[in-house]
Amino acid sequence: MTAPKPSGAVRRGLLAVLLAVAVLVAATACAISKPGYDPDKPTIRLAYQTFPSGDLVVKNKRWLEEALPDYNIEWTKFDSGADINTAFVAKKVDFGAIGSAPVARGLADLHIGYQIAFVLDVAGENEALIARNGTGIEKVADLRGKRVATAFASTSHYSLLTALRQAGVNPSEVDIVDLQPQASYAAWQRKDIDAVYTWLPTLDEVRKDGKQIISSRELAGNGKPTLDLGVASTEIIESKPEVVDAWRKVQARALALIHSDPKAAAAAVAAEIGTDEEDAAAQLAQGTFLTIEQLTSPEWLGTQGKPGDVAEAVHSAAQFLKDQNQIPSVPPLADFSAAIYTEGLPGVFDNIN
Amino acid sequence: MTSISSASAGVFAEAPAEPDIGTGRGDRTPLWRRVATGVGLPLASVLVFLGLWQLAAVSGIWTETFVPPLGKVWQAFIDTSTTHDGVRGYGGYLLWEHLYMTLRRVFFGVLIGIGAGVAIGVAMGTVPWLRRLVEPWLTFLRALPPLAYFFLLVIWLGIDESPKITLLALSALPPAAVATTAAVAATPKALTEAAVALGGSRRQVLADVVVPSALPETFTGIRLAVGLAYSSVVAAELFNGIPGIGGVVKDASNYNNTPVVLVGIVAIGLSGLVIDGLLRLAERRLVPWRGKV
Repeated sequence: MTAPKPSGAVRRGLLAVLLAVAVLVAATACAISKPGYDPDKPTIRLAYQTFPSGDLVVKNKRWLEEALPDYNIEWTKFDSGADINTAFVAKKVDFGAIGSAPVARGLADLHIGYQIAFVLDVAGENEALIARNGTGIEKVADLRGKRVATAFASTSHYSLLTALRQAGVNPSEVDIVDLQPQASYAAWQRKDIDAVYTWLPTLDEVRKDGKQIISSRELAGNGKPTLDLGVASTEIIESKPEVVDAWRKVQARALALIHSDPKAAAAAVAAEIGTDEEDAAAQLAQGTFLTIEQLTSPEWLGTQGKPGDVAEAVHSAAQFLKDQNQIPSVPPLADFSAAIYTEGLPGVFDNIN
Repeated sequence: MTSISSASAGVFAEAPAEPDIGTGRGDRTPLWRRVATGVGLPLASVLVFLGLWQLAAVSGIWTETFVPPLGKVWQAFIDTSTTHDGVRGYGGYLLWEHLYMTLRRVFFGVLIGIGAGVAIGVAMGTVPWLRRLVEPWLTFLRALPPLAYFFLLVIWLGIDESPKITLLALSALPPAAVATTAAVAATPKALTEAAVALGGSRRQVLADVVVPSALPETFTGIRLAVGLAYSSVVAAELFNGIPGIGGVVKDASNYNNTPVVLVGIVAIGLSGLVIDGLLRLAERRLVPWRGKV
């Protein structure tokens, strides 16, 4: 078959297609610019996640925009700490809200240039191990031979393995499956799993027909807390310490609001995670939020020149990663202490109103 | 014995006729040139790629998380393939066990998907009203990224093998069905009319004229279907995916463990190449009349 010459109709058709493509390209070229973005100002880039914390209050109330009028403030939502680590490696963010396990990964093996500058929350009753009714599981040791779901690489995964170790159960005796919260709830309803270590809001759903075996609050009491941390890149700490101070102040202000006016804090969090105020208040009530005095005590961040026990918690998370064969070795505790930003503590939190 | 040797002789005799190797008549090209272009060129491209990679890794422009040096990737390959320091492979399974589980899922998924797809395609190609009835559904399914509906499969089918195999079957079905429909519908009218004029029944026409004429294009559809299913393995193993090579890639990326991610990607890619090669071989053996009718 020889190729026929394109007839007039075909040529007209081709022309129409080309024209349509050209219009589409032109349309996508004029992207919508972000509101309030001023190309003449430097930009501060924040990575946030949607776990309930003061970070969401700061974002919702636009406190950082207020405190730093000479900067563009850019908030980007991330779904996991691993993604935030990647963004830090790529030098695309300056601040991040991230769990202690990914921070341990970032500091121990990826050598990400960031420092721990804030404790957003300590996992409490908002992360727990629940056994399904009818499985006969009463305590952690009963999990032997059962099927337990958790999201791998998460703080819940870390807490589950810690709970097993404290109960003298070898993790290989338990069938641990990797399921994200929403999938674990589906598997739970289908009775495919016997227990689940997860967080809110899925946690409240499984509590309805299950028994709580252990929570992260109890594990924190046993010296194995899991934390959500605020980290700042070394670059911004060195080049713009005043921005870091402003950021720490608004975070402290949000912590104070959670304690002094839980309703207002819940309203802000609810607006950010797309739930109602009552639900957000319940979620906030189950987490542990430090007071400024606690935050700057030796038990947590510590004070200038004397980094606190947060280093211990991250070091322990690094040990968890080593046990999972995700890092070759655990750096000494001193390395983690050195990664805690205590400059100006506790004075920087004076007069935060 | 004789059948085997004749079979291999057949393959050998046909190999030069393969259009994408030949630069002119295969049997006239000197052997060294055929070896050079058939083996040397792909090998050279791999070596150049590895060289550039290593250069990028040691240049220090990107951190190790982005471009890990080849030594680290190789170490990850060794670690995932062996038992070391009392640790068995990755997540308690060796690399080949992960790959085996994935291939098993792909095999069953693709078998179901292609079986159903070809059957639907033949029916649609021969019965016009059926085609109008089913085609919108197929197009709908084809437009869906597997990730969009995988969560529903978990709710309906659980977290074990069935949702994974169903996902792979669903991603393999539409390309197989669409290609078969087109192939069957494109059977030259002259051939079917001639067969009918010679007194062939509907069934005879289908078996002796339509199917042989449609097979070459159907095979292309099957290769596409396998490729599409294979590219969905990471999605299929998103939940409870270990053992499974897609599960390994997903899990390692959760830990920012780039070397293991790369090992998984290479394993998926290489096994995909092998599978496609086997399919091409099967195509040549089963449909020797491709391009000659």
